[in-house]
Amino acid sequence: MAAEYKRSFRMYSAWNYMQEVEDLNKLSDEGWQLVRGGCFHSKFVKNPDIRYRYQMDYQKIDDMARYIEIFREQGWEYVNSTFNGWHYLKKLYDPALPDEAYEIFTDRESLREMTGRWTRFATILGVLFGIMAIIEAFRVITAPNIPRFIQLFTFIIESGLLLRGAFIMRRTEPGQKLRHDSLILGIFFACILIGAASNIILDDMRPNFNTQQQADEVFEPIIENRWVDFDVKYPDNYYLDLMIKADEPLTFEIVNEADEVVYTETGTDVDKKDIRIKLPRGSYGFRMSVNSGFELECSID
Amino acid sequence: MKKSEPMSESYYYILLCLAKGANHGYGIMQMTEKLSRGDVTIGSGTMYGATSNMMKKGWIKEIMSTEGAERRRLYQLTDTGRKALRAEINRLRRMLENAEEV
Repeated sequence: MAAEYKRSFRMYSAWNYMQEVEDLNKLSDEGWQLVRGGCFHSKFVKNPDIRYRYQMDYQKIDDMARYIEIFREQGWEYVNSTFNGWHYLKKLYDPALPDEAYEIFTDRESLREMTGRWTRFATILGVLFGIMAIIEAFRVITAPNIPRFIQLFTFIIESGLLLRGAFIMRRTEPGQKLRHDSLILGIFFACILIGAASNIILDDMRPNFNTQQQADEVFEPIIENRWVDFDVKYPDNYYLDLMIKADEPLTFEIVNEADEVVYTETGTDVDKKDIRIKLPRGSYGFRMSVNSGFELECSID
Repeated sequence: MKKSEPMSESYYYILLCLAKGANHGYGIMQMTEKLSRGDVTIGSGTMYGATSNMMKKGWIKEIMSTEGAERRRLYQLTDTGRKALRAEINRLRRMLENAEEV
C-alpha cells in the first residue's frame, strides 16, 4: 500500500513556537507523523500505529553529529532543520513518562540563550523597520501622498509587531504555553504585501524619462516651449539630472500648467546630478531659450 | 581575584558529574538525576548548549572512548573547569555559611 501524505501550510510566529509543537503532537495522536517541518509548509505521513512528541529548537549548532548524539541518548530523533535555523525533533510517546520527559530545555538560562538568538534577530529587524518608518515619516511630512502614507503605516506596524514578538519571546519560561496568534502573523504579512505593493505603485506612477536636444549651429535665437510634457501624479520630491553645454548661456526651465517657472538654470557648462525639486500634482513642461550651438540632456525621476 | 558569576544549575551539575572522571551525555544526565534525587534534570537542548559553551570556555573537552566497538563521545573536565567548579563550590559554601550566621 502506498504511503498517504498530507501537507500543512499553517504558519506560526516564532514567539509562539510552542503552539506549533502542540499542534504537531495533536496531529501525531491523530495518526499524522511529521516528515519534514518547515517555515511555510510541513509534510506529514499517515501512520496511526505510532505516537510521537515533538520539540523545536533554535540553538546554533556547531557540531551536528554531536547534537544528534546528545538528543539520541535521551530518545530524541532529529527530523530536519528549516532554512532559517529551526530544528525539529521527535521522541516516541510513552504514556507512563511524565510531561517533563519531553522537555528539552530544563533550565531558564539555556531557554533564554535559545530564545535570545531569535529575540536579537527580531529586535534588529524591528529597529530597522523603525528607522525606515522615521525616514518615511520625513518624506510624508515634506511631500504628503497616500501611497507613501500607507508605506509609513506598514513600517510602523511591522516594527511594532517584531518588537512585541521579541518582548514575548524574551519572557518565555520553560514549559510555558502561549495562545495562538495567527491574526498577528496575518497582519504582519499583509503589511509586508501592502507595503511592497504601495512601493511598486509609487515607482510606477513616477515620471521617468530622459531627453536630449542638440544643435551644432543656431542662426537665430531659439525659444523652445514645452518640448517635453510630463505629469506628476502625486506630490513628492523628484530628482533631476541636467547637463548643458552651449557657446552662449542657455536658459532651461520647468514650468507648470499656469506657465509658472518652478525650476530654472542658466549657463554654458552645467552638469548637475540629483537636483531635488518638490513638485505638486499637475502637468509640467520643459522650456529653453538659446542662441548658439548647444547640447542639452536632462532626466527626471 | 575576579568575582565569579553564579553558575547555572545545569553547568554546575555537569561539572560535578565529571569531577571523578570522563562521562558521556547520557551518563551525566542520569548521574545528575541520581545526585539531586530527581530535582534536577538536564534536557537534551540544555545539555547541548551547556557542553558547547563549556567547551568554548575550555572547562571541559571532548574525547572519543576506545572501549567497546561503538565509538562514543566522552566529556572530560579540564584544569580550568576544575578551578571553576571549585570556585563555585566555595561561593555556595560562603552563601550557606552566611545563612547560618543570620
